[in-house]
Amino acid sequence: MGFPGPIRKFLERRYDTEVAEGFLDKQIHKRLPPHTGWLHVFGSLAMLLFISQTLTGIMLLIYYRPTPDEAYKSIQFITGSVHFGWLYRQVHAWGASLMILALVFHMIRTFFMGSYKKPRELTWVTGVLLFLVTITFGFTGYLLPWNQIAFWATTVGTESANKVPVIGAWLQYFLRGGDSVTGETLSRFFVVHVIILPWILAGLIGVHLFLMRACNLATMEDVDAEKKIPSEHGIPFFPVHVAKEGVVAVFLVAVLVTLSVVAPWEIGEPANALSTPAHIKPEWYFLPSYQLLKYFEGEYGAVIGIFACGVPFALLVFWPFLDRGKARHPKKRPIAVGLGLIGLLGALFLGYLGHVSETEQTYFGQRYHIDLLGWPNKIVEGEDAPSEAPH
Amino acid sequence: MNQTKKTTRRGFLDWLIAAFSAVAGLAMTIPGLMYLWPAAKGGAAEAVEISGAGQMKPGQSVTLQVGGKPVIVVRGRTGFLAFSASCTHLGCLVTWETQKKHFACPCHAAVFDANGGVVSGPPPAPLPPYVIKEIGEKVYVSAPA
Ligand code: HEM
Ligand code: FES
Repeated sequence: MGFPGPIRKFLERRYDTEVAEGFLDKQIHKRLPPHTGWLHVFGSLAMLLFISQTLTGIMLLIYYRPTPDEAYKSIQFITGSVHFGWLYRQVHAWGASLMILALVFHMIRTFFMGSYKKPRELTWVTGVLLFLVTITFGFTGYLLPWNQIAFWATTVGTESANKVPVIGAWLQYFLRGGDSVTGETLSRFFVVHVIILPWILAGLIGVHLFLMRACNLATMEDVDAEKKIPSEHGIPFFPVHVAKEGVVAVFLVAVLVTLSVVAPWEIGEPANALSTPAHIKPEWYFLPSYQLLKYFEGEYGAVIGIFACGVPFALLVFWPFLDRGKARHPKKRPIAVGLGLIGLLGALFLGYLGHVSETEQTYFGQRYHIDLLGWPNKIVEGEDAPSEAPH
Repeated sequence: MNQTKKTTRRGFLDWLIAAFSAVAGLAMTIPGLMYLWPAAKGGAAEAVEISGAGQMKPGQSVTLQVGGKPVIVVRGRTGFLAFSASCTHLGCLVTWETQKKHFACPCHAAVFDANGGVVSGPPPAPLPPYVIKEIGEKVYVSAPA
Protein backbone atom coordinates (compact mmCIF):
# COMPACT_ATOMS: atom_id res chain seq x y z
CA MET A 1 0.00 0.00 0.00
CA GLY A 2 1.22 3.46 -0.66
CA PHE A 3 0.61 6.76 -2.34
CA PRO A 4 1.43 7.28 -6.04
CA GLY A 5 4.90 8.66 -6.82
CA PRO A 6 4.76 12.46 -6.81
CA ILE A 7 2.35 12.76 -3.90
CA ARG A 8 4.42 10.28 -1.96
CA LYS A 9 7.58 12.29 -2.55
CA PHE A 10 5.86 15.50 -1.51
CA LEU A 11 4.67 13.94 1.73
CA GLU A 12 7.92 12.11 2.44
CA ARG A 13 9.91 15.33 2.37
CA ARG A 14 7.65 16.79 5.03
CA TYR A 15 6.37 14.04 7.28
CA ASP A 16 7.41 10.73 8.75
CA THR A 17 5.20 8.75 6.35
CA GLU A 18 6.47 5.37 7.46
CA VAL A 19 4.46 5.42 10.68
CA ALA A 20 1.20 6.22 8.92
CA GLU A 21 1.83 3.74 6.12
CA GLY A 22 2.86 1.04 8.53
CA PHE A 23 -0.34 1.56 10.49
CA LEU A 24 -2.56 1.51 7.41
CA ASP A 25 -0.76 -1.52 6.06
CA LYS A 26 -1.26 -3.40 9.30
CA GLN A 27 -4.96 -2.55 9.42
CA ILE A 28 -5.60 -3.51 5.82
CA HIS A 29 -3.73 -6.81 5.90
CA LYS A 30 -4.85 -7.76 9.38
CA ARG A 31 -5.50 -11.48 9.81
CA LEU A 32 -8.94 -12.33 11.13
CA PRO A 33 -9.81 -15.59 12.94
CA PRO A 34 -10.33 -18.55 10.58
CA HIS A 35 -14.08 -18.80 11.28
CA THR A 36 -14.69 -15.22 10.09
CA GLY A 37 -17.38 -15.50 7.46
CA TRP A 38 -20.72 -14.21 6.27
CA LEU A 39 -22.06 -13.91 9.82
CA HIS A 40 -19.42 -11.27 10.44
CA VAL A 41 -20.72 -8.79 7.86
CA PHE A 42 -23.64 -7.31 9.82
CA GLY A 43 -21.46 -4.72 11.51
CA SER A 44 -20.15 -3.54 8.15
CA LEU A 45 -23.72 -3.58 6.87
CA ALA A 46 -24.80 -1.24 9.66
CA MET A 47 -21.89 1.04 8.90
CA LEU A 48 -22.68 1.10 5.19
CA LEU A 49 -26.20 2.08 6.13
CA PHE A 50 -24.93 4.86 8.36
CA ILE A 51 -22.91 6.20 5.44
CA SER A 52 -25.98 5.95 3.23
CA GLN A 53 -28.14 7.69 5.87
CA THR A 54 -25.59 10.48 6.16
CA LEU A 55 -25.41 11.05 2.42
CA THR A 56 -29.15 10.82 1.76
CA GLY A 57 -29.82 12.87 4.92
CA ILE A 58 -27.59 15.68 3.68
CA MET A 59 -29.36 15.55 0.31
CA LEU A 60 -32.76 15.83 2.03
CA LEU A 61 -31.52 18.74 4.13
CA ILE A 62 -31.10 20.86 1.02
CA TYR A 63 -34.86 21.06 0.48
CA TYR A 64 -36.28 20.12 3.88
CA ARG A 65 -37.62 22.97 6.11
CA PRO A 66 -37.99 22.25 9.84
CA THR A 67 -41.08 24.36 10.64
CA PRO A 68 -44.70 23.27 11.17
CA ASP A 69 -45.84 25.40 8.22
CA GLU A 70 -43.26 24.14 5.78
CA ALA A 71 -42.04 20.70 6.83
CA TYR A 72 -44.85 18.66 5.28
CA LYS A 73 -44.89 20.75 2.11
CA SER A 74 -41.14 20.53 1.75
CA ILE A 75 -41.33 16.72 1.86
CA GLN A 76 -44.05 16.83 -0.77
CA PHE A 77 -41.80 19.07 -2.84
CA ILE A 78 -38.87 16.67 -2.43
CA THR A 79 -40.91 13.65 -3.49
CA GLY A 80 -42.99 15.40 -6.16
CA SER A 81 -40.78 17.95 -7.85
CA VAL A 82 -37.10 17.52 -7.04
CA HIS A 83 -35.25 15.25 -9.51
CA PHE A 84 -34.87 11.85 -7.83
CA GLY A 85 -36.10 13.42 -4.60
CA TRP A 86 -38.50 10.49 -4.11
CA LEU A 87 -35.57 8.09 -4.33
CA TYR A 88 -33.45 9.80 -1.70
CA ARG A 89 -36.38 10.15 0.68
CA GLN A 90 -37.31 6.49 0.24
CA VAL A 91 -33.75 5.27 0.62
CA HIS A 92 -33.41 7.35 3.78
CA ALA A 93 -36.68 6.09 5.26
CA TRP A 94 -36.00 2.45 4.37
CA GLY A 95 -32.35 2.79 5.37
CA ALA A 96 -33.45 3.75 8.88
CA SER A 97 -35.34 0.48 9.37
CA LEU A 98 -32.67 -1.64 7.71
CA MET A 99 -29.97 -0.03 9.85
CA ILE A 100 -31.77 -1.08 13.00
CA LEU A 101 -32.34 -4.55 11.56
CA ALA A 102 -28.64 -4.85 10.69
CA LEU A 103 -27.73 -3.88 14.25
CA VAL A 104 -30.15 -6.43 15.68
CA PHE A 105 -28.52 -9.19 13.61
CA HIS A 106 -25.06 -7.92 14.56
CA MET A 107 -25.99 -8.09 18.25
CA ILE A 108 -27.48 -11.57 17.86
CA ARG A 109 -24.27 -12.76 16.20
CA THR A 110 -21.94 -11.34 18.85
CA PHE A 111 -24.20 -12.48 21.67
CA PHE A 112 -24.52 -16.12 20.64
CA MET A 113 -20.86 -16.43 19.65
CA GLY A 114 -19.84 -15.09 23.07
CA SER A 115 -17.74 -12.38 21.44
CA TYR A 116 -18.62 -9.89 24.18
CA LYS A 117 -16.56 -11.73 26.76
CA LYS A 118 -13.24 -10.63 28.16
CA PRO A 119 -11.31 -8.75 26.82
CA ARG A 120 -14.06 -7.31 24.58
CA GLU A 121 -16.58 -6.11 27.17
CA LEU A 122 -16.24 -2.46 26.21
CA THR A 123 -16.65 -3.24 22.52
CA TRP A 124 -20.05 -4.70 23.42
CA VAL A 125 -20.95 -1.74 25.66
CA THR A 126 -20.16 0.77 22.90
CA GLY A 127 -22.20 -1.45 20.56
CA VAL A 128 -25.29 -1.25 22.78
CA LEU A 129 -24.84 2.53 22.96
CA LEU A 130 -24.68 2.62 19.16
CA PHE A 131 -27.94 0.70 19.05
CA LEU A 132 -29.64 3.14 21.46
CA VAL A 133 -28.37 6.15 19.50
CA THR A 134 -29.66 4.62 16.27
CA ILE A 135 -33.10 4.07 17.80
CA THR A 136 -33.10 7.71 18.91
CA PHE A 137 -32.26 8.62 15.32
CA GLY A 138 -35.39 6.79 14.25
CA PHE A 139 -37.58 8.43 16.90
CA THR A 140 -36.42 11.98 16.10
CA GLY A 141 -36.44 11.48 12.32
CA TYR A 142 -39.96 10.10 12.36
CA LEU A 143 -41.40 13.47 13.45
CA LEU A 144 -39.65 15.49 10.75
CA PRO A 145 -42.23 15.03 7.92
CA TRP A 146 -44.79 16.59 10.33
CA ASN A 147 -47.60 14.30 9.26
CA GLN A 148 -50.54 13.06 11.34
CA ILE A 149 -49.10 9.67 12.24
CA ALA A 150 -45.73 11.17 13.22
CA PHE A 151 -47.28 14.01 15.20
CA TRP A 152 -49.49 11.70 17.24
CA ALA A 153 -46.94 8.91 17.63
CA THR A 154 -44.59 11.56 19.03
CA THR A 155 -47.31 12.92 21.30
CA VAL A 156 -47.94 9.46 22.72
CA GLY A 157 -44.21 8.63 22.84
CA THR A 158 -43.27 11.76 24.77
CA GLU A 159 -46.33 11.30 26.99
CA SER A 160 -44.80 8.00 28.14
CA ALA A 161 -41.77 10.00 29.34
CA ASN A 162 -44.15 11.60 31.82
CA LYS A 163 -44.41 8.24 33.59
CA VAL A 164 -40.73 8.20 34.51
CA PRO A 165 -40.52 8.56 38.31
CA VAL A 166 -39.71 11.97 39.83
CA ILE A 167 -38.36 13.73 36.74
CA GLY A 168 -41.08 12.54 34.32
CA ALA A 169 -42.97 15.82 34.00
CA TRP A 170 -39.78 17.84 33.52
CA LEU A 171 -38.40 15.34 31.06
CA GLN A 172 -41.54 15.53 28.95
CA TYR A 173 -41.59 19.34 29.04
CA PHE A 174 -37.92 19.41 28.08
CA LEU A 175 -38.29 16.92 25.20
CA ARG A 176 -41.30 18.74 23.80
CA GLY A 177 -39.89 22.20 24.35
CA GLY A 178 -43.19 23.04 26.03
CA ASP A 179 -46.47 21.49 27.14
CA SER A 180 -47.43 19.84 23.89
CA VAL A 181 -45.85 18.83 20.59
CA THR A 182 -45.37 22.04 18.60
CA GLY A 183 -42.87 23.73 16.30
CA GLU A 184 -40.55 23.88 19.32
CA THR A 185 -40.57 20.09 19.41
CA LEU A 186 -39.88 19.93 15.69
CA SER A 187 -36.87 22.26 16.08
CA ARG A 188 -35.48 20.23 18.94
CA PHE A 189 -35.91 16.91 17.19
CA PHE A 190 -34.44 18.37 14.02
CA VAL A 191 -31.26 19.60 15.73
CA VAL A 192 -30.83 16.31 17.55
CA HIS A 193 -31.48 14.32 14.39
CA VAL A 194 -29.23 16.12 11.92
CA ILE A 195 -26.36 17.48 14.06
CA ILE A 196 -26.07 15.97 17.51
CA LEU A 197 -26.74 12.31 16.84
CA PRO A 198 -24.66 12.06 13.64
CA TRP A 199 -21.58 13.29 15.53
CA ILE A 200 -22.24 11.12 18.54
CA LEU A 201 -22.76 8.11 16.31
CA ALA A 202 -19.65 8.82 14.22
CA GLY A 203 -17.55 9.18 17.40
CA LEU A 204 -18.97 6.00 18.91
CA ILE A 205 -18.34 4.08 15.69
CA GLY A 206 -14.72 5.27 15.84
CA VAL A 207 -14.29 3.98 19.39
CA HIS A 208 -16.14 0.75 18.58
CA LEU A 209 -13.92 0.00 15.57
CA PHE A 210 -10.77 0.97 17.45
CA LEU A 211 -11.64 -1.43 20.27
CA MET A 212 -12.62 -4.11 17.76
CA ARG A 213 -9.20 -3.85 16.08
CA ALA A 214 -7.30 -3.59 19.37
CA CYS A 215 -8.46 -7.07 20.45
CA ASN A 216 -9.01 -8.48 16.93
CA LEU A 217 -12.21 -10.46 16.33
CA ALA A 218 -12.98 -13.12 18.89
CA THR A 219 -12.26 -16.74 18.16
CA MET A 220 -14.45 -19.51 19.56
CA GLU A 221 -11.86 -20.40 22.19
CA ASP A 222 -12.52 -19.84 25.88
CA VAL A 223 -11.71 -16.61 27.68
CA ASP A 224 -7.96 -16.30 28.44
CA ALA A 225 -7.27 -19.31 26.22
CA GLU A 226 -7.44 -17.49 22.90
CA LYS A 227 -4.39 -18.11 20.75
CA LYS A 228 -2.87 -15.31 18.74
CA ILE A 229 -3.49 -15.77 15.04
CA PRO A 230 -0.19 -16.35 13.22
CA SER A 231 0.17 -14.32 10.04
CA GLU A 232 0.12 -17.34 7.73
CA HIS A 233 -3.24 -18.51 9.17
CA GLY A 234 -6.46 -16.64 9.49
CA ILE A 235 -8.46 -14.75 6.93
CA PRO A 236 -6.79 -11.67 5.45
CA PHE A 237 -9.03 -8.66 6.01
CA PHE A 238 -8.03 -7.48 2.53
CA PRO A 239 -8.94 -8.89 0.09
CA VAL A 240 -11.01 -11.77 1.49
CA HIS A 241 -13.26 -10.09 4.05
CA VAL A 242 -13.42 -6.82 2.12
CA ALA A 243 -14.71 -8.76 -0.88
CA LYS A 244 -17.57 -10.14 1.23
CA GLU A 245 -18.36 -6.61 2.36
CA GLY A 246 -18.37 -5.49 -1.27
CA VAL A 247 -20.94 -8.15 -2.11
CA VAL A 248 -23.03 -6.99 0.84
CA ALA A 249 -22.79 -3.36 -0.33
CA VAL A 250 -24.03 -4.29 -3.82
CA PHE A 251 -26.93 -6.27 -2.37
CA LEU A 252 -27.74 -3.41 -0.04
CA VAL A 253 -28.05 -0.89 -2.85
CA ALA A 254 -30.25 -3.34 -4.77
CA VAL A 255 -32.47 -3.95 -1.75
CA LEU A 256 -32.78 -0.25 -0.90
CA VAL A 257 -33.73 0.74 -4.42
CA THR A 258 -36.14 -2.20 -4.81
CA LEU A 259 -37.92 -1.44 -1.54
CA SER A 260 -38.10 2.25 -2.45
CA VAL A 261 -39.83 1.43 -5.71
CA VAL A 262 -41.99 -1.51 -4.61
CA ALA A 263 -43.01 -0.41 -1.10
CA PRO A 264 -42.66 3.37 -0.80
CA TRP A 265 -43.33 5.10 2.52
CA GLU A 266 -46.47 7.20 2.30
CA ILE A 267 -46.45 10.77 3.60
CA GLY A 268 -50.09 10.59 4.72
CA GLU A 269 -52.04 13.55 6.04
CA PRO A 270 -50.38 16.71 7.35
CA ALA A 271 -50.24 17.04 11.15
CA ASN A 272 -53.40 18.37 12.79
CA ALA A 273 -53.06 19.23 16.47
CA LEU A 274 -56.86 19.24 16.84
CA SER A 275 -57.69 15.74 15.67
CA THR A 276 -56.19 12.35 16.50
CA PRO A 277 -56.40 9.73 13.75
CA ALA A 278 -57.47 6.19 14.58
CA HIS A 279 -54.81 3.49 15.04
CA ILE A 280 -51.57 5.27 15.75
CA LYS A 281 -48.76 2.86 16.28
CA PRO A 282 -45.04 3.47 16.51
CA GLU A 283 -42.39 2.15 14.15
CA TRP A 284 -41.81 -1.61 14.32
CA TYR A 285 -38.73 -1.35 16.52
CA PHE A 286 -40.76 0.36 19.25
CA LEU A 287 -43.63 -2.15 19.13
CA PRO A 288 -42.30 -4.46 21.90
CA SER A 289 -41.95 -1.56 24.38
CA TYR A 290 -45.24 -0.08 23.18
CA GLN A 291 -47.05 -3.33 23.86
CA LEU A 292 -45.28 -4.03 27.16
CA LEU A 293 -46.28 -0.60 28.51
CA LYS A 294 -49.95 -1.45 27.96
CA TYR A 295 -49.91 -4.16 30.63
CA PHE A 296 -48.96 -1.71 33.35
CA GLU A 297 -51.78 0.67 34.14
CA GLY A 298 -52.61 3.17 36.83
CA GLU A 299 -50.31 5.59 38.57
CA TYR A 300 -47.92 3.01 40.01
CA GLY A 301 -48.40 0.50 37.26
CA ALA A 302 -47.12 2.97 34.68
CA VAL A 303 -43.94 3.49 36.69
CA ILE A 304 -43.38 -0.26 36.85
CA GLY A 305 -44.03 -0.36 33.10
CA ILE A 306 -41.26 2.14 32.43
CA PHE A 307 -38.92 0.00 34.53
CA ALA A 308 -40.03 -3.13 32.72
CA CYS A 309 -39.10 -1.44 29.43
CA GLY A 310 -35.79 -0.13 30.76
CA VAL A 311 -34.54 -3.31 32.41
CA PRO A 312 -33.90 -5.25 29.17
CA PHE A 313 -31.73 -2.40 27.88
CA ALA A 314 -29.86 -2.09 31.18
CA LEU A 315 -29.29 -5.86 31.08
CA LEU A 316 -27.92 -5.53 27.55
CA VAL A 317 -25.46 -2.78 28.52
CA PHE A 318 -24.08 -4.63 31.54
CA TRP A 319 -24.37 -8.14 30.18
CA PRO A 320 -20.61 -8.81 29.73
CA PHE A 321 -20.09 -7.99 33.40
CA LEU A 322 -22.96 -10.20 34.54
CA ASP A 323 -22.06 -13.24 32.44
CA ARG A 324 -18.48 -13.94 33.46
CA GLY A 325 -18.32 -17.59 32.37
CA LYS A 326 -15.23 -18.53 30.39
CA ALA A 327 -16.85 -20.51 27.60
CA ARG A 328 -17.58 -18.84 24.27
CA HIS A 329 -19.09 -21.64 22.22
CA PRO A 330 -22.89 -21.52 22.44
CA LYS A 331 -23.05 -25.27 23.11
CA LYS A 332 -21.14 -24.70 26.33
CA ARG A 333 -23.32 -21.81 27.54
CA PRO A 334 -26.87 -23.21 27.89
CA ILE A 335 -28.05 -20.57 30.38
CA ALA A 336 -26.85 -17.49 28.47
CA VAL A 337 -28.11 -18.93 25.19
CA GLY A 338 -31.45 -19.83 26.79
CA LEU A 339 -31.88 -16.35 28.26
CA GLY A 340 -30.91 -14.78 24.95
CA LEU A 341 -33.49 -16.86 23.10
CA ILE A 342 -36.18 -16.05 25.66
CA GLY A 343 -35.43 -12.33 25.33
CA LEU A 344 -35.43 -12.48 21.56
CA LEU A 345 -38.63 -14.53 21.25
CA GLY A 346 -40.27 -12.38 23.93
CA ALA A 347 -39.49 -9.21 22.00
CA LEU A 348 -40.77 -10.80 18.78
CA PHE A 349 -43.97 -11.99 20.46
CA LEU A 350 -44.66 -8.63 22.13
CA GLY A 351 -43.90 -6.84 18.88
CA TYR A 352 -46.34 -9.11 17.07
CA LEU A 353 -49.05 -8.49 19.69
CA GLY A 354 -48.40 -4.75 19.36
CA HIS A 355 -48.71 -5.05 15.61
CA VAL A 356 -52.04 -6.93 15.61
CA SER A 357 -53.60 -5.24 18.67
CA GLU A 358 -56.84 -3.42 17.88
CA THR A 359 -57.19 -5.08 14.47
CA GLU A 360 -59.10 -8.03 13.09
CA GLN A 361 -57.17 -11.15 12.18
CA THR A 362 -57.97 -14.59 10.84
CA TYR A 363 -56.37 -17.60 12.55
CA PHE A 364 -57.24 -21.07 11.22
CA GLY A 365 -60.23 -19.75 9.32
CA GLN A 366 -61.78 -17.98 12.31
CA ARG A 367 -62.04 -14.18 12.49
CA TYR A 368 -60.87 -12.57 15.73
CA HIS A 369 -60.94 -9.06 17.04
CA ILE A 370 -57.60 -8.55 18.83
CA ASP A 371 -58.04 -6.21 21.77
CA LEU A 372 -55.69 -3.63 23.22
CA LEU A 373 -53.75 -6.19 25.22
CA GLY A 374 -53.42 -8.57 22.30
CA TRP A 375 -56.15 -10.94 23.47
CA PRO A 376 -58.13 -12.51 20.59
CA ASN A 377 -61.94 -12.33 20.79
CA LYS A 378 -63.90 -14.53 18.41
CA ILE A 379 -66.08 -12.64 15.98
CA VAL A 380 -69.37 -14.47 15.54
CA GLU A 381 -71.09 -13.97 12.18
CA GLY A 382 -73.96 -11.52 12.24
CA GLU A 383 -72.87 -9.92 15.49
CA ASP A 384 -71.28 -6.52 15.70
CA ALA A 385 -67.66 -6.24 16.66
CA PRO A 386 -67.46 -5.61 20.43
CA SER A 387 -66.44 -1.97 19.98
CA GLU A 388 -69.61 -1.28 17.96
CA ALA A 389 -71.92 -2.79 20.57
CA PRO A 390 -75.42 -1.27 20.52
CA HIS A 391 -76.25 1.05 23.37
CA MET B 1 6.29 12.40 56.89
CA ASN B 2 6.87 16.07 56.76
CA GLN B 3 7.48 15.92 53.04
CA THR B 4 4.10 14.43 52.10
CA LYS B 5 2.22 17.19 53.90
CA LYS B 6 4.15 20.00 52.32
CA THR B 7 2.49 21.72 49.39
CA THR B 8 4.98 22.21 46.62
CA ARG B 9 4.75 25.14 44.26
CA ARG B 10 4.00 22.64 41.48
CA GLY B 11 1.25 20.91 43.45
CA PHE B 12 -0.34 24.23 44.29
CA LEU B 13 -0.36 25.28 40.64
CA ASP B 14 -1.97 21.97 39.64
CA TRP B 15 -4.61 22.50 42.25
CA LEU B 16 -5.21 26.07 41.12
CA ILE B 17 -5.58 25.06 37.47
CA ALA B 18 -8.04 22.30 38.39
CA ALA B 19 -10.10 24.66 40.56
CA PHE B 20 -10.21 27.37 37.90
CA SER B 21 -11.16 24.87 35.20
CA ALA B 22 -13.98 23.54 37.35
CA VAL B 23 -15.33 27.03 38.07
CA ALA B 24 -15.03 28.09 34.42
CA GLY B 25 -16.66 24.84 33.27
CA LEU B 26 -19.60 25.29 35.63
CA ALA B 27 -19.95 28.95 34.71
CA MET B 28 -20.31 27.93 31.08
CA THR B 29 -22.48 24.86 31.62
CA ILE B 30 -25.19 26.39 33.77
CA PRO B 31 -26.30 29.09 31.31
CA GLY B 32 -26.05 26.50 28.54
CA LEU B 33 -28.43 24.16 30.35
CA MET B 34 -30.78 27.02 31.17
CA TYR B 35 -30.77 27.99 27.51
CA LEU B 36 -32.04 24.51 26.65
CA TRP B 37 -34.90 24.73 29.14
CA PRO B 38 -38.07 25.72 27.25
CA ALA B 39 -38.85 29.40 27.73
CA ALA B 40 -42.44 30.11 28.81
CA LYS B 41 -44.47 31.50 25.96
CA GLY B 42 -46.88 33.62 27.99
CA GLY B 43 -50.62 33.43 27.50
CA ALA B 44 -51.19 31.13 30.49
CA ALA B 45 -54.22 33.16 31.56
CA GLU B 46 -55.47 33.43 28.00
CA ALA B 47 -59.23 33.40 27.48
CA VAL B 48 -60.20 32.25 24.00
CA GLU B 49 -63.45 33.22 22.37
CA ILE B 50 -65.34 30.28 20.95
CA SER B 51 -66.17 31.44 17.46
CA GLY B 52 -69.61 30.38 16.30
CA ALA B 53 -70.69 29.48 19.85
CA GLY B 54 -74.06 31.09 19.20
CA GLN B 55 -74.76 28.70 16.30
CA MET B 56 -73.86 25.54 18.27
CA LYS B 57 -76.82 23.30 19.05
CA PRO B 58 -77.09 21.32 22.28
CA GLY B 59 -74.96 18.18 21.93
CA GLN B 60 -72.51 19.74 19.50
CA SER B 61 -68.85 20.11 20.30
CA VAL B 62 -65.77 21.95 19.10
CA THR B 63 -62.05 21.47 19.77
CA LEU B 64 -59.78 24.50 19.99
CA GLN B 65 -56.42 25.58 21.40
CA VAL B 66 -56.31 27.44 24.69
CA GLY B 67 -52.86 28.52 25.83
CA GLY B 68 -51.37 26.07 23.35
CA LYS B 69 -53.32 23.12 24.71
CA PRO B 70 -56.28 21.36 23.05
CA VAL B 71 -59.63 21.94 24.77
CA ILE B 72 -62.99 20.42 23.90
CA VAL B 73 -66.12 22.48 24.44
CA VAL B 74 -69.57 20.85 24.47
CA ARG B 75 -72.85 22.71 24.29
CA GLY B 76 -75.19 21.13 26.83
CA ARG B 77 -78.86 21.85 27.27
CA THR B 78 -78.28 24.60 29.79
CA GLY B 79 -74.84 25.91 28.91
CA PHE B 80 -71.32 25.11 27.80
CA LEU B 81 -68.89 22.63 29.34
CA ALA B 82 -65.17 22.61 28.64
CA PHE B 83 -62.46 20.03 29.34
CA SER B 84 -58.89 19.42 28.37
CA ALA B 85 -59.17 17.34 25.19
CA SER B 86 -55.94 15.46 25.88
CA CYS B 87 -56.74 11.99 27.13
CA THR B 88 -55.12 11.55 30.54
CA HIS B 89 -53.78 8.18 29.41
CA LEU B 90 -51.29 9.02 26.65
CA GLY B 91 -52.44 12.34 25.25
CA CYS B 92 -54.61 11.46 22.23
CA LEU B 93 -57.53 13.83 21.67
CA VAL B 94 -60.95 12.73 22.89
CA THR B 95 -64.04 13.42 20.83
CA TRP B 96 -67.59 14.04 22.04
CA GLU B 97 -70.08 11.40 20.98
CA THR B 98 -73.37 13.22 20.76
CA GLN B 99 -75.57 10.10 20.73
CA LYS B 100 -73.86 8.33 23.60
CA LYS B 101 -73.32 11.54 25.58
CA HIS B 102 -69.74 10.71 26.45
CA PHE B 103 -66.17 11.47 25.45
CA ALA B 104 -64.29 8.73 23.61
CA CYS B 105 -60.57 8.36 22.99
CA PRO B 106 -59.55 6.91 19.61
CA CYS B 107 -56.25 5.50 20.89
CA HIS B 108 -57.10 2.89 23.49
CA ALA B 109 -60.87 3.08 23.50
CA ALA B 110 -61.26 4.98 26.77
CA VAL B 111 -64.64 6.51 27.65
CA PHE B 112 -65.20 9.56 29.88
CA ASP B 113 -68.63 10.69 31.05
CA ALA B 114 -70.09 14.15 30.42
CA ASN B 115 -68.36 15.45 33.56
CA GLY B 116 -64.95 14.20 32.44
CA GLY B 117 -64.95 11.19 34.82
CA VAL B 118 -63.38 7.93 33.63
CA VAL B 119 -66.01 5.35 32.67
CA SER B 120 -63.78 2.71 31.14
CA GLY B 121 -60.33 2.19 29.67
CA PRO B 122 -56.80 2.85 30.83
CA PRO B 123 -56.80 6.58 31.78
CA PRO B 124 -55.62 7.12 35.39
CA ALA B 125 -57.46 10.43 35.95
CA PRO B 126 -60.52 12.40 34.82
CA LEU B 127 -60.32 15.06 32.10
CA PRO B 128 -59.37 18.36 33.79
CA PRO B 129 -62.18 20.93 33.41
CA TYR B 130 -61.72 24.36 31.81
CA VAL B 131 -63.57 27.52 32.77
CA ILE B 132 -66.38 28.93 30.64
CA LYS B 133 -67.39 32.59 30.81
CA GLU B 134 -70.36 33.97 28.94
CA ILE B 135 -70.24 37.71 28.42
CA GLY B 136 -73.34 38.83 26.56
CA GLU B 137 -73.46 36.88 23.30
CA LYS B 138 -69.82 35.88 23.53
CA VAL B 139 -68.47 32.70 25.12
CA TYR B 140 -64.90 32.46 26.39
CA VAL B 141 -62.92 29.48 27.61
CA SER B 142 -59.82 29.66 29.79
CA ALA B 143 -57.61 27.45 31.90
CA PRO B 144 -58.64 27.10 35.55
CA ALA B 145 -56.82 29.58 37.80
C1 HEM C 1 -26.51 11.04 9.76
C2 HEM C 1 -27.09 11.99 9.21
C3 HEM C 1 -28.59 12.11 9.01
C4 HEM C 1 -29.16 13.25 8.51
C5 HEM C 1 -28.42 14.52 8.13
C6 HEM C 1 -30.59 13.01 8.44
C7 HEM C 1 -31.54 13.93 7.96
C8 HEM C 1 -32.90 13.73 7.86
C9 HEM C 1 -33.87 14.65 7.31
C10 HEM C 1 -33.56 16.04 6.78
C11 HEM C 1 -35.10 14.06 7.38
C12 HEM C 1 -36.44 14.66 6.92
C13 HEM C 1 -36.81 14.18 5.56
C14 HEM C 1 -37.70 12.97 5.59
O1 HEM C 1 -38.51 12.84 6.50
O2 HEM C 1 -37.59 12.15 4.70
C15 HEM C 1 -34.90 12.77 7.97
C16 HEM C 1 -35.92 11.85 8.18
C17 HEM C 1 -35.76 10.63 8.81
N1 HEM C 1 -34.58 10.09 9.30
FE1 HEM C 1 -32.72 10.92 9.08
N2 HEM C 1 -30.86 11.74 8.90
C18 HEM C 1 -29.66 11.14 9.27
C19 HEM C 1 -29.48 9.87 9.78
C20 HEM C 1 -30.51 9.00 10.12
C21 HEM C 1 -30.34 7.70 10.75
C22 HEM C 1 -29.00 7.07 11.14
C23 HEM C 1 -31.61 7.18 10.93
C24 HEM C 1 -32.08 5.87 11.58
C25 HEM C 1 -31.49 4.82 11.90
C26 HEM C 1 -32.56 8.14 10.41
C27 HEM C 1 -33.94 7.99 10.41
C28 HEM C 1 -34.87 8.85 9.84
C29 HEM C 1 -36.28 8.59 9.73
C30 HEM C 1 -37.06 7.36 10.24
C31 HEM C 1 -36.85 9.71 9.06
C32 HEM C 1 -38.32 9.90 8.62
C33 HEM C 1 -38.38 9.41 7.19
C34 HEM C 1 -39.66 9.74 6.47
O3 HEM C 1 -40.74 9.50 7.01
O4 HEM C 1 -39.52 10.22 5.34
N3 HEM C 1 -31.85 9.22 9.92
N4 HEM C 1 -33.55 12.58 8.27
S1 FES D 1 -54.56 7.81 24.97
FE1 FES D 1 -56.64 7.80 25.38
S2 FES D 1 -57.01 5.77 25.95
FE2 FES D 1 -54.87 5.79 25.63
